[in-house]
Amino acid sequence: MTPLERAEAKFGWKLVAPTILILGLLILYPLMYNVYLSFFDVQLNGYKTFVGLENYIKLLSNTDYYSAIGTTSLYLLGTVAGTTLLGLAMALLLKDPFKGRGLVNAAIMLPYVAPVISVVFGWQFLFDPISGVVNYLFVDLFGIWSERTNLIGNPDSALWVVVLFDIWKHAPIAYLLILSKLVSISRDQYEAAAIDGYGPVGRFFHVTLPELYFVLATVVLLRLIWNLNRFEDVYLLAPNVQTLPIFTYYQAFTGVIDQGLAAATSVIQLAVLSVFIWFYIKKIMKW
Amino acid sequence: MIGKRTVTGRIGFALAILLLVSFSLLPFAQILSTSLKHQYDWGNPSLIPQTINLDAYKELLGLTEAKKVEIPAAIQKILNNPKLPQDKKDAIAAKYMSNDNLFPFGKYMLNSVIFSVGAATFSLVFSVMGAYSISRLRFKGQVIIQRSVLFVYMVGGVLLMVPLYQMAMNIGLASSLWGSAFCLFLIYIVQTLPVGMYMLGNYFRGIPFALEEAAMMDGCSRKEAIIKVVLPLSLPMLATVFIYCFIIGWNEYLFASVFLKQYPEFHTLPLALQELFVSKNAIWDRIMAASMLTLAPIVICFLFASRFMKGGKTDGGVKG
Repeated sequence: MTPLERAEAKFGWKLVAPTILILGLLILYPLMYNVYLSFFDVQLNGYKTFVGLENYIKLLSNTDYYSAIGTTSLYLLGTVAGTTLLGLAMALLLKDPFKGRGLVNAAIMLPYVAPVISVVFGWQFLFDPISGVVNYLFVDLFGIWSERTNLIGNPDSALWVVVLFDIWKHAPIAYLLILSKLVSISRDQYEAAAIDGYGPVGRFFHVTLPELYFVLATVVLLRLIWNLNRFEDVYLLAPNVQTLPIFTYYQAFTGVIDQGLAAATSVIQLAVLSVFIWFYIKKIMKW
Repeated sequence: MIGKRTVTGRIGFALAILLLVSFSLLPFAQILSTSLKHQYDWGNPSLIPQTINLDAYKELLGLTEAKKVEIPAAIQKILNNPKLPQDKKDAIAAKYMSNDNLFPFGKYMLNSVIFSVGAATFSLVFSVMGAYSISRLRFKGQVIIQRSVLFVYMVGGVLLMVPLYQMAMNIGLASSLWGSAFCLFLIYIVQTLPVGMYMLGNYFRGIPFALEEAAMMDGCSRKEAIIKVVLPLSLPMLATVFIYCFIIGWNEYLFASVFLKQYPEFHTLPLALQELFVSKNAIWDRIMAASMLTLAPIVICFLFASRFMKGGKTDGGVKG
């Protein structure tokens, strides 16, 4: 190593040191500490007693845990499919320039940046059984439902409201990712396909879709990673929909508090998440 | 692509755009509409209020004069009792007077601003340093750090809430007001730092090294080259990263609820709004007006940031 290289390395470490310190102390260490905690009975005030594998046994014999896994699977399935498809549709629709595209773009990006806490109230009002416009449309105007229902009050229907909410909020980001790939597909390929006799639909399946394959996989994987941890969007809109993060939150901070059990839940969830992240880093980032 | 040249094609296209924009904007329109409606108007499905009602906004922004709350007759009788000492009288009266500001919106907004602007500032400084280091300088372990940052970036808050709370408890921070606030502040920095580093790292890689090299040949040190060359070239991205971090902090609910729930005077807006919603003071127009005011800074920031985002739109896109 030349002195110049050594100086560069030293400078590099110096610059990145605060970051390493903060991230290590407040993310990597807590993740490991969490594994440790999962073997203890942990009180809210910090008092701990070693219980071995008891938390895991309790968790795996808890039917609520399995129903949370079921809810989470439905949530992931609905949101990932919905966001990707809507994002793709939006990208195809808005691909070519037209008058006012900037404004349309700003409008459809708004749900993505808006604070969850504000927009959930708008959604709650839309689905309100007394004043909400959804009930008005389906009951009074079209007569599809026979009576006004509280869709958010019932956990089964609330799950689908939460899924729709997530699609509404996160389709814009899928749209941006897909669009950036879509605009880079060259015109020649479409022309070649047209000469081969493919119509618009055929061109979509033979040119667009194969080109988008990689970016669609990226979107799906990213949605899985983020939505597995999704807390606020679900809890604030419909606290009765118990996906895994909400299940963990209830265990850790409400009712009969059992932080050790919550830690065990998080450990299992981290293991699943790590697989997704590893896949993302290896296959998508190709690092 | 889909026959936009025919008339039906054009109409279909316009309809699809209209549908999409309405779907995106309907909840916002509903919030705005309800915040401006009188109570008798709530059940009316029309989004346009029959008469505009600004009371909720006035109340939240403290523009109404402090109303004298009516003291019940029985209490008034006690107060008129000459035998009661004056200080006791004042104490009883105060109970009925202190109710006038039910929801100190300004205070919550200030708390939110302090937490999110403060954390975003620290985060920006650290991420400039870190991002420059991992994208520009060569040293052993660089790749591992790079991957760890990406990994850490994707670990959600829910996986950290129990251990972080327990850690804060162990060192005694979670049991005091300032300790809890300090923890939350640190957590906001941690939540935004990986995003900032990721976005800036990608951006720094795109700046030609020759520019720095030229500056260094002119006698600048590496540090000076960063400050005089790299940072001025990155200003739009720095602003975007700052706004991005600010938005994350402004919108955060989970950790605020874990650490600050028991300290109402330190509530941030999301926490305060949720508490208001489940309290007896929940009235739709007040909630909607508060939502509107929470939303406004973000919309302004977003419109400001989107002017910069023309080039690298998807840089922050992996988050969310």
